[in-house]
Amino acid sequence: MPSAASTSSNRPSDADVVVETRNLSKIYRDFWGRDKKAALKPLDLEIRRGEIFGLLGPNGSGKTTTMKLLLGLIFPTSGEAFVFGKPATDVSKNERIGYLPEESYLYKFLDAEETLDFYGRLFGMPPEERARRSAALIEMVGLTRDRKRQLREYSKGMTRRIGVAQALINDPELVLLDEPTSGLDPIGTREMKDLIIDLKARGKTVILCSHLLADVEDVCDRIAVLHQGELKELGRVDELLRVTGITQIRAGGLPPAAYEEVRAVLARHGASDVEIGNPTTTLEDLFLEVVRDTEARPGRRARAAATTPADGK
Amino acid sequence: MVLEQEIPRFAAWIGPALLTFLLTVGLVSLFVGLAAWLVQAARSGPLDAGDRVYRGILTGLRDLAGTSPGRVWALARLAIQEAVRRNVLVVLAVFALVILFAGWFLDPASVNPGRLYLGFILGASTFLVCTVNLVLAVFSLPADIKSKAIQTVTTKPVRTGEIVLGRFLGFAIVGTVLLTLMGLAGWAFVVRSVQHEHELTAGGLQEIRDDEGTLLGYEGRTGSGRGHRHFVRLDAEGNGIAENTQGHRHRITSRPDGGEMVSTVGPAEGLLEARRPLRGTLRFLDREGKPASKGISVGAEWAYRQFIEGGTAAAAIWTFDGITEEAFPEGLPLEMTIRVFRTYKGTITEGIHGTVQLQNPSNKLRSEAIPIVAREFTIEELRIPRRLNTVLADGRVQEADLFRDFVSDGRVEVWLQCLEPAQYYGVAQADFYLRLGNGSFAWNYAKGCLGAWFAMLIVTALGVMFSTFLSAPVALVAAVAVLLVGQFREFISRLFQSQLTGDATIAPGGGPIESLYRIVSQTSITLELDPTPAVQAMKLADMVLLAPMRVAAGVFPSLSALGTGDFVAGGFDIPGDLLAADAAETLAYVAAFCIAGAFCLRAREVAS
Repeated sequence: MPSAASTSSNRPSDADVVVETRNLSKIYRDFWGRDKKAALKPLDLEIRRGEIFGLLGPNGSGKTTTMKLLLGLIFPTSGEAFVFGKPATDVSKNERIGYLPEESYLYKFLDAEETLDFYGRLFGMPPEERARRSAALIEMVGLTRDRKRQLREYSKGMTRRIGVAQALINDPELVLLDEPTSGLDPIGTREMKDLIIDLKARGKTVILCSHLLADVEDVCDRIAVLHQGELKELGRVDELLRVTGITQIRAGGLPPAAYEEVRAVLARHGASDVEIGNPTTTLEDLFLEVVRDTEARPGRRARAAATTPADGK
Repeated sequence: MVLEQEIPRFAAWIGPALLTFLLTVGLVSLFVGLAAWLVQAARSGPLDAGDRVYRGILTGLRDLAGTSPGRVWALARLAIQEAVRRNVLVVLAVFALVILFAGWFLDPASVNPGRLYLGFILGASTFLVCTVNLVLAVFSLPADIKSKAIQTVTTKPVRTGEIVLGRFLGFAIVGTVLLTLMGLAGWAFVVRSVQHEHELTAGGLQEIRDDEGTLLGYEGRTGSGRGHRHFVRLDAEGNGIAENTQGHRHRITSRPDGGEMVSTVGPAEGLLEARRPLRGTLRFLDREGKPASKGISVGAEWAYRQFIEGGTAAAAIWTFDGITEEAFPEGLPLEMTIRVFRTYKGTITEGIHGTVQLQNPSNKLRSEAIPIVAREFTIEELRIPRRLNTVLADGRVQEADLFRDFVSDGRVEVWLQCLEPAQYYGVAQADFYLRLGNGSFAWNYAKGCLGAWFAMLIVTALGVMFSTFLSAPVALVAAVAVLLVGQFREFISRLFQSQLTGDATIAPGGGPIESLYRIVSQTSITLELDPTPAVQAMKLADMVLLAPMRVAAGVFPSLSALGTGDFVAGGFDIPGDLLAADAAETLAYVAAFCIAGAFCLRAREVAS
């Protein structure tokens, strides 16, 4: 089993280590105490300050269980978890944590302002700071016009946004995001990813779990792949995705007439399975381009549909 | 009013009560800790279990010590917002409906309408506010856990104790607001309902003259008001009283107007009062005048009142302490509630005749008998004057001074005897008292509402505690079960004592199994069962069943014991000692339930 944990039996002394787990496991039991499901098999993990760490895996792989164990929402069957050097069940660690649950479980009878005010009070923030921070976060997640509406009237995307705002109310050092792009449209998804990158730029540590591979790939520095409660892969995203034995060459402004010449040069050097053509953009990029263009030129057909990166747009 | 137990002085009560509380909390904690250790030991071995339980307790206590008022208030506000947005104020509309029905269906011509209205309003307010708060308390936290909203709270720096305390405080504030509004509405309803007027016309009065034709006064009846009339006695000037009916009377003043006498009936007196009684201790003499431990039982199942036989030497004797001239400068204002048991009907519209006498407890000097007439369901008032006659040994009558001759070291005895042979007077210790004065009825009503408030606080804390580890419907059932057991805690206690001592008179009928046997075999509860081996086994099994019930009954709260509505409805000032003891008991229960709830919530996985 891959492992990145220290083998020391002491708590992490390295100030850069934000999260550490040692043989952390969780087995759900039935009423009689019989093992029902091993949600997480012994896991050793170390997450450092300032990185975006992704927990990746299919449904039921143990991602959310790991996150709940780190938050102290559930108790480990064996092993230990430390956050900021404190046991995961220590409430004081939460001062420095922001958490966005999978479905933004918030109080539906509150409006956006009341929601943020409530969570701000839980951090003991003074009234002026609560008001200032709430207004800034509501502005940031684009809910200014809907700030007086009760959350029961919000769409799923809006609920997700206010969920993000409550996770950031205390300007946390460590942000845990459970399926952060779930329920968001492509624009919201992109904004969320931009936000995660922005958090990293501000020195925050982000742990996110998702089964949307593209999202993880776009933002994470390191990932852990879980399957059936077991850690299967752990490492930097760029290293894990690097395909050895195949060389990629990108060039702009190359005319089609030059393709054969390039192919011949590559053949001379023994290259096999040579492909030359225009790369494709992602559907997300295409969609965002269409939306931006439509907003810039209302009533016209979007130009983005006919452009490609190779054309230089 | 009925006062089955003496109200102890708070200063004397609080010490032993505190000791009992700490002992109970210690034993319950020990039991729970042991149970937790056993469960953990079965899963992960005894050593690891011990370590977990120890760390759990330590962390729990540390969390409790780190409770933040700011976070508690934030969670309390949330609970209030939740309650308000779930339209809890609808209960006020229900209360308005209750008042409406009360106005329609409560009989204004009842024996004591003030008591009826007050008892109903206080009872309805308590029931409504307790029900609403119980439902709010048991459904709130499980709903949060089910909707997973609790996860966004527990991942903030919030202690479980703060969650429990916040819920309790929030719902307690909601309950307090509801109770205040209900109390005010109830007050207005009661005051308006009992207010009434009577007319007194010259046609309703008859002149009373002596043989020489001199006008002595007037007799007659008032006009009807709120379903009743009063018998009236006036002096020659037309001043007097409308006698006690339905627990009140009216003063009547008259003035001449153009050759005619115009009488004015004043407002009702004694209807909404807060009497401050000085109570004594009661002992009995049997029909031969010998001391007896109690009076005669006339067969009533409720042995609260004991009876004395008329036309014999039987007497009920109260000894009052603290009698001083300063406290009672105008004599002793004695007030009496006397039940009557007739072995023959007699003149049913008239009361039973008896006497009241004073006796010096030291030199046994006794006053002349003061005649009284005992009527059912009314409080008879008798002012014993400063100057009294006493019959000397040689038969001479001599005037004596109340305080100099009958009071010894601040103590005086009041003797009650029934004069009519084969008729009986029934009395309890609380039935005779000296009236020290009057408290404010409004303040007494507020104190009565305070009793309801205590009940609401306990119910809320109980509901919140159960909701930390049970689903909402189960928590509701559990809370109701605890309150029901608590309601019968006196009975269970007596039953256990009866089984333990073998004295069937304490609580006849036996424990659950014996009761079932008696029901099936149709055996009366007063009939002693033959001590066969089967009966012995049955009694032993009852003891085994009753022991945990007795323990539970000792721990569970009794809302009826906290209720002070009887004092208000009965027209008695609620003693400060009782209120202080109730407040301390409420605080103890609330603290215990909140701490237990905090530990229960801490021990569970809110996200599993």
